[in-house]
Amino acid sequence: MATAAVIAFWFATVLYGGATVLYAYFFLSKRPSYSWYATFFTGAGFLCHTASIGMRSVAEDGTRLDGQNQLILLAWALVLVYFVVEHLVKFKVYGVLLVPAGTLLMVVSQFLARKGAAPVSPLVENWKIGIHVAMIVFANAGFIVGAVASLAYLLQERQLKRKKASVLFKRLPPLASIDLLARRAIAFAFPAYTAGLMLGIVRAYETDQRGWWADPRVMLAGLVWGVFGAYLALHYSERATARTTARLALVGALLVAVLAVVARTVPAGFHVFGV
Amino acid sequence: MHLVLVGLSHKTAPIEMREKMTFPAARQAEALSQLTSDGAVAEAVILSTCNRTEIYALSADAERGVEAVLSFLTDYHDLDRHDLVRYLYIVKGEAVVRHLFRVVSSLDSMVIGEAQILGQVKEAYEHAFENGATGRAFNRLFRQSFEVGKRVRTETAIGENAVSISYAAVELAKKVFDSLAGRTVLIIGAGKMSELTAKHLVCNGAVDVLVANRTYERAVELAQRFSGRAIEYGALFERMRDADIVISSTAAQEYVVRKADVAEVMRGRRGRPLFLIDIAVPRDIDPAVNELSDVYVYDIDDLNGVVESNLEERMREAERAEAIIEDEVAEFLRWQESLEVVPTVAAIRAKAEAIRQAELERALKRLSGLSERDLATIDALTCAIVNKMLHGPTARLKAAAEEADGYLVVEAARELYGLDETEGGRGSGLLRTLLNRRAREIHDTHAAKETGDGLGC
Repeated sequence: MATAAVIAFWFATVLYGGATVLYAYFFLSKRPSYSWYATFFTGAGFLCHTASIGMRSVAEDGTRLDGQNQLILLAWALVLVYFVVEHLVKFKVYGVLLVPAGTLLMVVSQFLARKGAAPVSPLVENWKIGIHVAMIVFANAGFIVGAVASLAYLLQERQLKRKKASVLFKRLPPLASIDLLARRAIAFAFPAYTAGLMLGIVRAYETDQRGWWADPRVMLAGLVWGVFGAYLALHYSERATARTTARLALVGALLVAVLAVVARTVPAGFHVFGV
Repeated sequence: MHLVLVGLSHKTAPIEMREKMTFPAARQAEALSQLTSDGAVAEAVILSTCNRTEIYALSADAERGVEAVLSFLTDYHDLDRHDLVRYLYIVKGEAVVRHLFRVVSSLDSMVIGEAQILGQVKEAYEHAFENGATGRAFNRLFRQSFEVGKRVRTETAIGENAVSISYAAVELAKKVFDSLAGRTVLIIGAGKMSELTAKHLVCNGAVDVLVANRTYERAVELAQRFSGRAIEYGALFERMRDADIVISSTAAQEYVVRKADVAEVMRGRRGRPLFLIDIAVPRDIDPAVNELSDVYVYDIDDLNGVVESNLEERMREAERAEAIIEDEVAEFLRWQESLEVVPTVAAIRAKAEAIRQAELERALKRLSGLSERDLATIDALTCAIVNKMLHGPTARLKAAAEEADGYLVVEAARELYGLDETEGGRGSGLLRTLLNRRAREIHDTHAAKETGDGLGC
């Protein structure tokens, strides 16, 4: 079963890679057939990805929540969220940025592979931690979607300001729809993130963890929460321009990346089971 | 049968000549009847738009066909032949197919990628069809041309991106706001160009039009045309807070809209973007306004730049369209070739020979002890039967090829001998054609009516 899971994982990665190339062709040529094949490859990759996660969980008597598997789960959630976005806004162009992000997460996850079985912390053996991880994984996927949309916003705004009718200008969606997508993605992700963090805090209190807040991962998570909280506050109160909030979303996404990859390589602190 | 095209267009003839050569829809029946009354022209379609007049004809003899069309044009429009010929182009054979496909794909249009021509060609074909001026060849050619037109528009981006100043403004506004539905347009100055731009914006969903002009009466007059509201010129910046799109086209010699004014306006808008189109020369809007957040200013040069870039993209797409056209020309030629007599006769003979050989082999298996001489006699006998059976049809097919509607006989022969069965039914055959013709014609006529857009051309 474990071998089948690995094979399915690589199939998924290759299919996402193929979809990335096809989305790039679609972006440059704007031929609908490329986007159809790209979506097909992404869908096939997603099925393999789901099968891989399922088989691995069966082989290991549960879903591991280490750094490697969390990136794999994040990639899975990202592709799932992408399909929802594509269904809702009908803009295939987001696939050009989101599917490569998913592929990258799959590849990066392989650098975090640990040899031998990971020690299972007693803290993890609780339903609250399962929900905590699931919430944060989905919230991160939402933040990435929001950040990708924000990046598209800044690129499109720059094209409009510079008055260049470039390929980028023609292919990217209108400013209003990009901004709306970014805001909605972050607005949906933020409560999930908050709930995920709250569950983690509750679990820390339950297990009487002293100084849990001093862990670099916990502090970074707090920073991510603060940045996206500020994003929503500024956006909905209309006290900042869309350009400023887009930049804020990119900062938030950068922190998510730091938290997901760099912080997990630091083997110290309370949150060690995430390493 | 030979395809012939005689015509003139914006590329070869001035407007004075083009207007003399028009065929109004109401007079096409009479013109087609006159054109086909001469035995030299078997089928004809007259395409008449503001930019071109073309006569497509099918003739047993290409030279006679051209002559007949030229005589018809000079007689019908009462023109001097020598004057007329200077502006005409004459195309024959395969080049006619390519020309029609290029025309219908708008590669030969004044504005490459414009959408009206497909509807205009459909309309021309419909007139010819209804007046009995088309037959099997032109029905196939023109119907395929409509498919080519559709393919080019769907498989390339030739029709995308605005190529006029006013449409470019609309396209840019959509890049900011996505949909223009419910947007408010503020017009400063009651010029013609701002009126045209506003008209396009309103057609695309903008609902509220505010007009500010130094002469209040002119503002009222323009506002009435859009069911909008005239505002006092002094209240311009106060009302700009409500606007999403501003079009400025005044005769002022200095900037009418300055950065400080717009900065003040933006304070009350809570991040709502403002798109300003300056089509005045000298400019009305200080370019520094573009530096403000959520404000986008486009002057006439910027809009021209967008148009030029879009035209360049259309030219690139035109190259892809040419490749599609070459594919389609080849397909039409294959179809046309299948209707020629020589390959048909050869195919009938090949099929008969294959049957003869198979039957002979089967019979010889049952007949044992035959001498070499007997075998040769039987072989000669079967050959003679086949040859005699095929002699009559072959001779009649060759004779029919000389007739105007000879291809119908050829197609009937292909159907009766089942020559196209192995090619996946590519040749539909006369019997099936006759059964399906009416249904297809009704369908195509409806489809043509749905897409036609003449814009008065």
